[in-house]
Amino acid sequence: MSSMGLYAQKTVSGTVTSYDDGSAIPGVSILIKGTQTGTVTDLDGKYSISAPNEATILVFSFVGKETQEITVGSQSSINVALKTTAIELEGTVITALGISREKKSLGYSTQKLSGDKVNTVRSDNFINTMSGKVSGLQVRTNNNMGGSTNIIIRGSSSLTGNNQPLFVIDGVPISNDNTNASSQRQGGTGYDYGNAASDINSDDIASINVLIGAAATALYGSRAANGVIIITTKKGKRVTTGKKYLGVTMNLSGTMGIVDPSTFVKYQKEYGGGYGPYYSGGDHPGLYEYDFDGDGVDDLVVPTTEDASYGEKFDPNLMVYQWDSYDPENPNYMKKTPWQAAANDPITFFDKAWTFKNSIAIDGGSDHSSFRLAYSRLDQSGIMPNSHLTRDNFNFSSSYDLSDKLTASATVNYAKTSGLGRNSTGYSDNILSSFRQWYQTNVDIQDQKAMYELTGRNVTWNYHDENLLVPEFWDNPYWTRYQNYETDYRNRLFGNISLNYKVNDHFTVMGRATTDYYSEMQEERRAVGSISARFGISRLDVQSGYQRYNRTFQENNYDMIARYKGNINEDLNVSAMVGTNYRSNMVSSVFASTNGGLVVPELYSLSNTVNPSLSPIEHENRIAVLGVYSQVSLGYKNMAYLDATIRRDQSSTLPAENSAYLYPSISGNFIFSQVLDADWLSFGKVRANYAEVGNDAPFASIYDTYSKPSPFGSTTLFSVPSTKNNSALKPERTKSLEAGIEMMFKDNRVGVDFAVYKNNTIDQILPVSISTATGYSTKYVNSGEIENKGIELSLFATPIKTTDFSWDLILNWSKNVNKVVSLYEGVDNLQLGSFQGGISINATVGEPYGIIQGTDWVYDDATGEKVINSTGYHDGYYKISSTSDKVLGNINPDWNAGLTNRFNYKDFSLSFLLDYQKGGSIFSLDQWYGQGTGLYANTVFTNDLGNPVRNTLADGGGIILDGVKEDGTPNDIRVRGDNYALFGWARNPNAMFVYDASYLKLRELVLTYKLPKKMIGESFIKGASVSFVGSNLWIIFKNLPDADPESGVSSGNLQGWQSGVLPTTRNFGINVNLQF
Amino acid sequence: MKKIYLLLLVFVVASCTKNFEDMNTNTKAPTKVPSETLFTNAQKNLADQVASINVNRNVYKIWAQYCTETTYTDEANYDVVNRTIPDNAFRTLYKDVLMDFKEAANLVNEKTFLPTEAGMKANQLAIIEVLNVYTWQRIVDQWGDVPYSEALDIENTLPKYDDAVTIYKDLFKRIDAAIANLDAASGSFGSADIVYNGDVAKWKVFANTLKLKLGMSVIDYTGLATEAKAAIEGAVTAGVMTSNADNGGLTYKNATPNTNPVYLDLVASGRHDFVATNTMCDIMNPINDPRLQHYYQLRDTSGNGDFVYIGGIYGASNAYNNYSPFGTALEDPTMECVLLDFTETEFYLAEAAHKGFTVGGTAESFYNAGIESSILYWGGTAAEVTAYMAEAEVAWGTSSLTDVQKIAVQAWIASFNRGLLGWSFWRRFDYPILNPPPGVSYANIPVRTIYPINEQTLNGTNYTAAASAIGGDLLTTKLFWDVN
Repeated sequence: MSSMGLYAQKTVSGTVTSYDDGSAIPGVSILIKGTQTGTVTDLDGKYSISAPNEATILVFSFVGKETQEITVGSQSSINVALKTTAIELEGTVITALGISREKKSLGYSTQKLSGDKVNTVRSDNFINTMSGKVSGLQVRTNNNMGGSTNIIIRGSSSLTGNNQPLFVIDGVPISNDNTNASSQRQGGTGYDYGNAASDINSDDIASINVLIGAAATALYGSRAANGVIIITTKKGKRVTTGKKYLGVTMNLSGTMGIVDPSTFVKYQKEYGGGYGPYYSGGDHPGLYEYDFDGDGVDDLVVPTTEDASYGEKFDPNLMVYQWDSYDPENPNYMKKTPWQAAANDPITFFDKAWTFKNSIAIDGGSDHSSFRLAYSRLDQSGIMPNSHLTRDNFNFSSSYDLSDKLTASATVNYAKTSGLGRNSTGYSDNILSSFRQWYQTNVDIQDQKAMYELTGRNVTWNYHDENLLVPEFWDNPYWTRYQNYETDYRNRLFGNISLNYKVNDHFTVMGRATTDYYSEMQEERRAVGSISARFGISRLDVQSGYQRYNRTFQENNYDMIARYKGNINEDLNVSAMVGTNYRSNMVSSVFASTNGGLVVPELYSLSNTVNPSLSPIEHENRIAVLGVYSQVSLGYKNMAYLDATIRRDQSSTLPAENSAYLYPSISGNFIFSQVLDADWLSFGKVRANYAEVGNDAPFASIYDTYSKPSPFGSTTLFSVPSTKNNSALKPERTKSLEAGIEMMFKDNRVGVDFAVYKNNTIDQILPVSISTATGYSTKYVNSGEIENKGIELSLFATPIKTTDFSWDLILNWSKNVNKVVSLYEGVDNLQLGSFQGGISINATVGEPYGIIQGTDWVYDDATGEKVINSTGYHDGYYKISSTSDKVLGNINPDWNAGLTNRFNYKDFSLSFLLDYQKGGSIFSLDQWYGQGTGLYANTVFTNDLGNPVRNTLADGGGIILDGVKEDGTPNDIRVRGDNYALFGWARNPNAMFVYDASYLKLRELVLTYKLPKKMIGESFIKGASVSFVGSNLWIIFKNLPDADPESGVSSGNLQGWQSGVLPTTRNFGINVNLQF
Repeated sequence: MKKIYLLLLVFVVASCTKNFEDMNTNTKAPTKVPSETLFTNAQKNLADQVASINVNRNVYKIWAQYCTETTYTDEANYDVVNRTIPDNAFRTLYKDVLMDFKEAANLVNEKTFLPTEAGMKANQLAIIEVLNVYTWQRIVDQWGDVPYSEALDIENTLPKYDDAVTIYKDLFKRIDAAIANLDAASGSFGSADIVYNGDVAKWKVFANTLKLKLGMSVIDYTGLATEAKAAIEGAVTAGVMTSNADNGGLTYKNATPNTNPVYLDLVASGRHDFVATNTMCDIMNPINDPRLQHYYQLRDTSGNGDFVYIGGIYGASNAYNNYSPFGTALEDPTMECVLLDFTETEFYLAEAAHKGFTVGGTAESFYNAGIESSILYWGGTAAEVTAYMAEAEVAWGTSSLTDVQKIAVQAWIASFNRGLLGWSFWRRFDYPILNPPPGVSYANIPVRTIYPINEQTLNGTNYTAAASAIGGDLLTTKLFWDVN
């Protein structure tokens, strides 16, 4: 390979390293431009080449790296650091079962992200940082501290099952379970405990490969039907003979989050606490009028019971008794204060959020071994007072050659996550529901803080009255935060051991055992003296209590895989694989609580119960699946490839006669650039595939068992369960078809990857809702079909590229059209969840999966106008549909797009990501109630008569709603605006509060400065960089008022409903990366 | 080495697949349980539904205008859609009550009784049947036509709706058959029966009283005149309730979750959602009703120590502190839930006597006895009864009210805390005059509840047929027996 001997030549040598991590790159091609002459780097990245003269240009190229051209000049030593290309159409990727494949040989879609794409922006959940970076991926980032992030690939395919992808880390399938209570997921009450994949430490991630289509995932079996996120962790480097390598990497970062005011309530400041003018008969009917202080003269008293701001108009000259005059320790005790808007509204309740994440990794290697040892610590405090999350991650991975043929390797990860004071979510018992729906604008939140800090008691703004100093609906929010806090932890161990035996150059055998094991505990507390709320096993209202949920999870996988690789002849090569997998899952949980309250305050123990405890709720689910699989790949002249796979699974959850199922996939591609002699085309490939994936049933859905209600005194109770199981279940099946094209133009300066697909999931195993007149509410059936069709487009371009400056663009765009084709005989609607406000999320035949249903306006047939009641039932208000099954929206976006721009100038790089969701709907319970209670600024305005809308009708207030009366004539009925009925829930349909969930966000902005080698010099530091990082800096537009349309209650199938969500934070951070 | 691992793997796999099926067994839930446990559960679920004042499942104490809502007035304004109230009530009655009764009966039939226990088996099945009939009547009296002959069958997920008249006809037959099978000489459920503690004689009286109630409920509908007359007179002959000691009810426990559901909503929740209505107070105050002190609490509205019973305006926003809340008796967690009682028996008999049926007494005597038992039940004294009977608007034969209006008013007052019963009396008598909520006309006061939303979506064809058969699935569609 060395150059031909030429006259006047000079020898140039050097090392080629990776720009990203400084590691040496073996196998880099170095060509003398314009010739076929060249060389490649050795295992240490070193090369040596004879250049004909000083004008010679050397071209350094390597798959997945940007090509660099350097003029030799007078240099005799040229060291090159190659940057990773913005988009990888070539190179190797990790596919199913950890098999490394050349990307160009694949007949299906995958998309790869390097580790820095998910660990530069620091988040408690790395999935948040994937938004907008992969086509076909929908990420709904959450803003609950440590909360769960919803992630869906190519739409939802399962009606009632899991639609989240499978996470696999170094061959270990990782539980991504969400253990949030079903009441929490339906927006009732509870905490968002996050999804388990958040235990993965982003600093350990070397790369992520997203397997998008079913063909890509067929070998993983049923669980991968929703796609697979394959994570490869960083490993120690191996070096050539006689040398050893040792490196240390440190990463230090701090991030500050500040509430984005566009995602919080803008309060009206003209009217205070109350619901309307009915508390007294005098001049100020919005206030009570009685002798409060016993001086014989009637006083004005705020109706503190009312968690609304539809009360008396503010007037600073009006002196009134408020909540702060009730408590003897309050400086305002028995004092009147001016009736005016609070100086500090609830936005001042929020703290700055802080995230510190520091990690250190040591890696090393010799010629027959490598290791990496890493530790990382996440410390986070949320915007809610007294909230804290920590996570410690330990990672050790090593491989060792026992002989020339046998390699042993192991990876061990330990993660411990501890939470304290997560924010409650949903409708009830959630401070944010109070701030957004039920509040008095006259209450200064800082006074509440002062009173809590002064007294340590539950001194609330929402007292029943001065004679009964108990909260009516809401505690002092500081009391809630500091007394009724939850704590939780999850201790997790996952990893694998494997032996790889290389029989000869063609044949290898691998055996691997993996485990994912964790135990977790969630403890919730209600302090004596709190407002009643649903709690504990019975979910009955109780003022105090303690509950704990303990859960143990284990998944083991045993794999044995034999692979063959060889050439049938010069043009045709073949690789084949046969393997077996045994998977066992065990989930065991116990939920226990006190009953009826706590005897001793502040003692959070199950035995500290007022009434005898109810029996704990136990679950123990065991599932095993035995799979055998095979794959054959044929490659012709590095130009055409054909892949076929087949897998047979036998699952313990299916009836014995139906327990085994077989599913095939076939995929192929053709690299047409090999035959097309076109200069403008540097790479071109078409691909197509068809795949089927089978799926089993949930645990214990075959045989019926009785459910056990709490005993009635000493009398034992049993009951027929709500769900009828089915002993004739058979496996469900997903069929998918995909085609795509990949092309690169102009020396890899422009690239495109385009895919179309269609997936149908049939014979779904689901508990279908049935008429409760049957004595059951659901029944397990094999029925129903969902279709997902879509297109995905990735575009990559480098519009400008000079020696010092370059500009890269990456656009990901995807559109998925989802349709429920059928459900169950006679059933055309399946309710997935029902929510406060009368809203339900449904699968409806002929509609996309995830229809928002509720009440709608009634429209006049003749005019198309909204109908106004005029026949003796709330005349003048909108006529509301008599049922709540009207289709109001669809939770699925029309399309998603992410646009990354990256500018490199010398050692600086600046990149930013715009993330766009078009369409999708969301129902806002916050607006539904909050407008009704008159909190929002848009409930105060001047009406058509030029008067405040909240004036009485006699004083020219109220409005005439747009619409026609029931006889079709224009509405002329003026309705009152002086009480709470007008704007919110009481007299309006749900449809009024369904919003478009579109948004455009500046998701990330990163400025990195990499210290040049010459500055570092020959010190012990091998590399250093500093980054200034911003995330969620700017919601450029959105149509949902006062909240982030991405905010929700939990991950899972139930989306499209918001209540009491936290405001979103703008995050500013700094990262320092040091390598020694 | 490879072979060792391969062998190991084969061994692991082989040993695991053998117990694949066992693995799918739910080890934490039973497949076999005693029949009594389902019977008791159904009894409790029935009582919970009957007693409840929860706005998600039972709004009839509001609709009968025994109370109104303070701030959140949706239910008082007849909004049943937002909270899917019909769905919750329907599901409870079919799934949690009737289905468990059905399963209990199945298990009784499967159970091996000793030859000497034949009577016990018959009694158990008959008691279940009596409560089935009770539950079915409750269902029909809310909705009209409902799934009946094809209900409670998992193999038929699209049950048709049966005509309400046909159902009533069948209920008459079923109650007769059950009565015939009750034999006081044999035992029944024993302590698993949380209504009568297994007392079959009491169940027989209950069953006859239920038969009387069935007859009186349809008394205005001429199409069932024969069945009604036979039921009323037959029940009286066989023996209906004769004192409050015969009342059929369930006494709750002191501790959650076995308290009266009313306790949960009035006390445990810490909320203040309900106050007395102007309707009740405007009728009870002028006649110095001694039950006022038990039904409601006094309220000093002026702050001058001037305590009165004062009701909020029905359906309007009412500041809790300005009106009388429920009486402390309703805050007792152990308060009994009455399913069927002597007081209502007497009002049925008063009406029957007034209509000329042979029921062993005069309208006046039954009327007086009904009032007396009601006052005494609520803790009143004989002296209070005497004084009350002397009120011109109360005493039989005096005042401007007709006899039937008198019965209507007193039956309605006495049915306080039994929402559906009170609302049904009002629907039949169209008296007393209720107060429509502000902005609502009298004609829009509900006389029926709408079908569950779930029935529209899950059983659409049958739903549509039923809605059309009854004249529209509306709150204002009258049931067949509501003929006035």
